[in-house]
Amino acid sequence: MNTTRRFLQCDVFADVAGAGNGLAVVLDGENLSTEQMQAFAKFTNMSETTFVLPPTKTQASYRVRIFTPVSELPFAGHPSVGTAHAVLEAGLVKTVNGKLVQECAAGLLPIKVEAEGKDRCISVRAPRGKIIPHDANIQTLLNAAIKNMAFGILSPTLVSNGPLWWCVELANEAAVRELKPLLPEIAALTQASNAVGLAVYAQTSSDDYQLAVRAFCPADSIPEDPVTGSANAAIAALMHDNKLLINIGKTYTASQGREVGRDGFVQVRVDDEGEVWIGGKTQTVIEGRLSWD
Amino acid sequence: MLPRPYLQVDVFSKRPGCGNPLAVVLDAEDLTSKQMQTIAAWTNLVETTFVLPPTQGNADYRVRIFTPQREIPFAGHPSLGTAHALLVSKQINTKNGEIIQECGAGLIPIRIETSKKFRRRLFFRAPQVKNIEKLGTDSVAATAVFSQLELGELSPSLVEGGRKWWIAEVRNENALRALQPDHQAISLMSKATDSMGLCVFSRCLNQDYQLAVRAFAPAFGIKEDPASGAANATIAAYLLDSGALESIGNNYRVSQGREIGHDATIDLRASQQDDIWVGGECQTVINGTLNWID
Repeated sequence: MNTTRRFLQCDVFADVAGAGNGLAVVLDGENLSTEQMQAFAKFTNMSETTFVLPPTKTQASYRVRIFTPVSELPFAGHPSVGTAHAVLEAGLVKTVNGKLVQECAAGLLPIKVEAEGKDRCISVRAPRGKIIPHDANIQTLLNAAIKNMAFGILSPTLVSNGPLWWCVELANEAAVRELKPLLPEIAALTQASNAVGLAVYAQTSSDDYQLAVRAFCPADSIPEDPVTGSANAAIAALMHDNKLLINIGKTYTASQGREVGRDGFVQVRVDDEGEVWIGGKTQTVIEGRLSWD
Repeated sequence: MLPRPYLQVDVFSKRPGCGNPLAVVLDAEDLTSKQMQTIAAWTNLVETTFVLPPTQGNADYRVRIFTPQREIPFAGHPSLGTAHALLVSKQINTKNGEIIQECGAGLIPIRIETSKKFRRRLFFRAPQVKNIEKLGTDSVAATAVFSQLELGELSPSLVEGGRKWWIAEVRNENALRALQPDHQAISLMSKATDSMGLCVFSRCLNQDYQLAVRAFAPAFGIKEDPASGAANATIAAYLLDSGALESIGNNYRVSQGREIGHDATIDLRASQQDDIWVGGECQTVINGTLNWID
């Protein structure tokens, strides 16, 4: 069968092309098998590729399946933000009171759409974060992974919001930017604790962003991730739990990716119910037709 | 900057997803080198090419080739994929079935073959591959690698064809496909002998391909390559030199990449009277525009 499908590749958490985290979106995902989806996600070599399908639940605006080059994910932050951008750009859905409902393997997730055109900011509610205790064996691996870091106030904590993230507060922005991560030690720690990675963060004195963040996932062959939705959500949940958002506010901007040649911005908000929302701007970089049948 | 034509092509591929992917940006003359490098890092494919007007009279186009990390003067699969993208976009015409590509390595001819049996196939002329020099296996590091292999008829050699590769024949296709490469030993051999790595092949005379190939370059961060243009040219030169093409044939077909989830098909043309040509089919996977506003 020779059909072509609408395709879009966008840059998420980015004010300009190339600043954020890339995402491939197949807008007409129907009639592709799971194997075909997985093969295409391997071909694009983006950190994630999503496939838009008609919703199966009446409340949902659309359904999405999310694939990395090696496996399918129930949910992820930047693919959700980028897919919402893509379906709006393509005119597949319309917002109702500034909201969309995304159906994915993790369930129905609310998405907020604010402003229009170039300033449009799309946010997704992250699964609630909870702190995971760790034992003495893990503490030894943790100490080895963070021994070169200049710490802030909070002690390093393992947070789960779907994926597990080690969140390590550092003393200041320079400590984040200049850190040379001990990747083999971080890989050993994350593997032993089933974590996806280790994120460092610090409050800043910049007017443009209140937090500087970096995220390392060496065990998944990603030494440093350019811009990470779930890590930012984990950090926000942890700071909120510890009443540390009093300084910077419950709505703030995080800067991530400069150390790997990007310059992403994540808009983070903790709402009155204590739920964490992560969002940002998305740039459409590639638009076209896909032949994959 | 306006949106410009953009294609994502699968090279050495009979079906989308079998071969080696490539991103091609057409009408790229107003992009700076820095922008090209940033785009190539963002697409995250093994190579991204940028098409420019030719600067030499007889060239049909000029191309600059970038990996996510750096610009490279020449590579086989990006050359074929770029020529394919230009033909699909009707930006070039062929003269007598040949196209001239201008790139960092000079002028590279690309030949077009059409037949009833196959879709259009493009072939590039492999540079410098005819002057091969066979070296012995007197290296300790090489012995450590070859003692683990079920070797075939021809003896392993270090072959210089632009880049140096160790080439070894494995006894049969089953042994080749089942081979578990010792990346550490191959890496040590590659460093000790200033070479890219190891190519192994087996003859497969009863298949629709005549050779199965695997290529390992762990010292350069490539555990296994899904489809190797230049390395297959080097193997062809080695086979031609040893007389093995008398039984395999001067026009033969290679299967590569199945062990890592690909299924590339590479066609070789190798005879004493001509240069070595490497080719295959290209599939257009994405056809659209790139809108790079930075």
